[in-house]
Amino acid sequence: MGIPNIGATLRNSFRAIRNGEFLLRVRADKYYMHIMYLFLLMWLTIMLSLQVDKTLTQAGNNKAAIEELRTHHAEKEAALVKLRSASATEARLKRMGSQAALPKEPASVIKKK
Amino acid sequence: MSRKESEIQDTIVGRDRIDVVMFFLGLAFLALGLWILVRVVHIQTGYKVPQSVIGYFRPSVQKHTDAPVRGRILATDGRPMALSAPLYDLYMDCTVRQREFREKKDAGAEAKWREKARELAASLSAEFKDRSAADYYKAIIDGRERGSRYLCLRKDMDLNTLQRVQAFPLFREGGNKGGIIVETHEERIYPYDSLALRVIGYVKEDTRIGLEANFDPVLHGREGYEWRRVTDDRSWIRDLDSSSVKVKDGMDIRTTLNVDFQDIADKALRAQIQANEDVRAGICIIMEAKTGAIRAMVNLSRGKTPQTSLWERDNLVLREVGEQGSVMKTVTLLSLVEDGYVSSLEQTLPTNNGLVPGYNQDVHILDYQRETGRRDITVMHGFEISSNYVFTYLAEHYYGKKPQEMFDHIYSYRLGEAFDFDISGMGTPMVNRPGTPGWSKTTLGTTAYGYGLSVTPLHVATFYNGIANKGRMMKPYLVESIEKDGKVVKSFPPSELNGSICSPATADTVTRALRSVVEEGTATRLKGAKLPVAGKTGTAQVVLTPEERGAGNRDPYHDLSGRKKNQGTFVGFFPADNPKYTILVTVYSYLSGKSFYGGTIPALAIREIVDKIYALDDTWYGEYRPTEAVPHMQKKELAATTGTVPDLKGWGLKEALYAIESAGGQCTYEGTGHVVSQQPAAGSKWNKAETVKLILK
Repeated sequence: MGIPNIGATLRNSFRAIRNGEFLLRVRADKYYMHIMYLFLLMWLTIMLSLQVDKTLTQAGNNKAAIEELRTHHAEKEAALVKLRSASATEARLKRMGSQAALPKEPASVIKKK
Repeated sequence: MSRKESEIQDTIVGRDRIDVVMFFLGLAFLALGLWILVRVVHIQTGYKVPQSVIGYFRPSVQKHTDAPVRGRILATDGRPMALSAPLYDLYMDCTVRQREFREKKDAGAEAKWREKARELAASLSAEFKDRSAADYYKAIIDGRERGSRYLCLRKDMDLNTLQRVQAFPLFREGGNKGGIIVETHEERIYPYDSLALRVIGYVKEDTRIGLEANFDPVLHGREGYEWRRVTDDRSWIRDLDSSSVKVKDGMDIRTTLNVDFQDIADKALRAQIQANEDVRAGICIIMEAKTGAIRAMVNLSRGKTPQTSLWERDNLVLREVGEQGSVMKTVTLLSLVEDGYVSSLEQTLPTNNGLVPGYNQDVHILDYQRETGRRDITVMHGFEISSNYVFTYLAEHYYGKKPQEMFDHIYSYRLGEAFDFDISGMGTPMVNRPGTPGWSKTTLGTTAYGYGLSVTPLHVATFYNGIANKGRMMKPYLVESIEKDGKVVKSFPPSELNGSICSPATADTVTRALRSVVEEGTATRLKGAKLPVAGKTGTAQVVLTPEERGAGNRDPYHDLSGRKKNQGTFVGFFPADNPKYTILVTVYSYLSGKSFYGGTIPALAIREIVDKIYALDDTWYGEYRPTEAVPHMQKKELAATTGTVPDLKGWGLKEALYAIESAGGQCTYEGTGHVVSQQPAAGSKWNKAETVKLILK
């Protein structure tokens, strides 16, 4: 194809696009189903990709929330464990002016006959 | 002009044109080269990439490393003794939006930002209470003016604090507008502070001690990584097309330590040490007799002077190799009984004024002779009063010609070597046996009463535990299992060091002697403890360093002022008749003129420990058996189902109200306690319109 032909083809194409006849000129109607199918596939791909992104974002947020909960749990656990030690309890009782103290005798056990 | 001339002229003109073109082309290339050179110099020296362009150079994916969560160290009942949680450091980019305001020449916006910064400063001051609001504001504004992009405001915040700080004015606008920068670092939390700190240990850069160090590969876990890409809404998500390694959190280790025992032992020992300013350090081991599981291990020591605070500075239980003194007489006694040389504790030997040729005189024997008028002494009494003479005599008499026999026993008690333990660094014992450079004519006798043989306190406790366990010497251990998410991955069951160091009969005989020490001998401070204790006291002088001794002083135990370093020990087990725990307490003194005996400070500490442990365990208390049958509540049919008023006598108010009101009736009551009478009477026809009156007593 010579350069003049290319020019003519471009001119024709431009006119066809301007007149809304381009797809008819190239006989795209023959491939209508294929084109629609291609669009469907592309749409599906984009949608799935967006959904995957959304899920991964959600997974990341969940992971951060779990990490935050783990931190809360560890901090609370440490605080509670500290309060549970015998000497901490004894000191607290003393500070509050309580007469209660740690047991001096073991707990009594009542067993069935 | 001829044709030839014309052609020549054309050629000249053509050549000139080419020359001109080539000249300008060369000039252009030269200019280009110079420009490139200038650009290279500029880029290398003063070029700054514009912010608007930087984004184009960033890779579309970034590598993100996930640090594993370090495993926890648990007590035997599952209480955490060490766990990890992130802590947060707070910084501020003081220059945030400064350029933007400047470029827009928006003085109002800058003033507004500064007003928010003032509010932020007030909030920070109220939260942390370490600086005034004005100080915080000054720090922020100074930082803004000198271009500080990383102003440290606070370190080691917990999550709650961070969340409050993130809601402060300015910071709530985020990093890009508010300038908040938060850095996270995983920190180890020890809920019980210094309790068992030397056992639990820590891993910090080059310092690695205790269980944290020995089990680091298990506790640490494995780092993971993934490549992340940014989504359309600017979130970072995992890039599924790239490789990734999943992070593997560390596993937990469950120790044998009992927090309550550790707490009791720590407190008792601390009180005793604090009451005696000559005491430099004190240790305590509590070991379960049947298994060798260590329930408590305390290592308290002061610094170089008594004024320094008590702290778990060094693991003396494992590392302090030294002569243990009279507690080692039990080693000699056990060997003599096991070999049949002492067939009865009532067996006698001559007193000889407390003299064995070649050894120092034992003045205790002179006192004994004076008080009793006797010239012989039983092995039992010699053990009770911890006579050096008695044990020197017995060792020389029975093992003098075959000392190796006694040293074979010492090795079979595992006192001659370091054994495998859950914490590394156990000191290696030193035994002066025949054939070694330390052996002399008196080594056998001195070894018999506890000198010449250097071991760690853990060795001593393990040996006594063997006696408590009827001759079965268990290997002490600190870790009972490795766990993942509460499930046991690997367990470490009890194991033996020596299946039989002596026969059960020998162990019983020696136990009787140990019990007698508490009842009649050097440890009477333990007499009357809430659980009977059997054990032995020991006092040893510590060999001084050349610096402590002083120049020219050849006495290994005293300095030039006659001061010495003592260690006093009590080691035994309880309850004596059915031992459950072996216990050892040793205190170490500074250079002092005083003596410290195993029957004083250690015995007092042990008494407190035993009494408190007794109160914790209900298996030691007498069981109550009900003497009368306790009536069981019978289920009674409700009024609505039987058609009659139920018999409510003996019922509590709550049950009686439920029975009547659930059938649609009404109730009134008087008194408290249980129903003693009711109106209408039980069995009369049920009429839900009629109010039931209850009298409680």
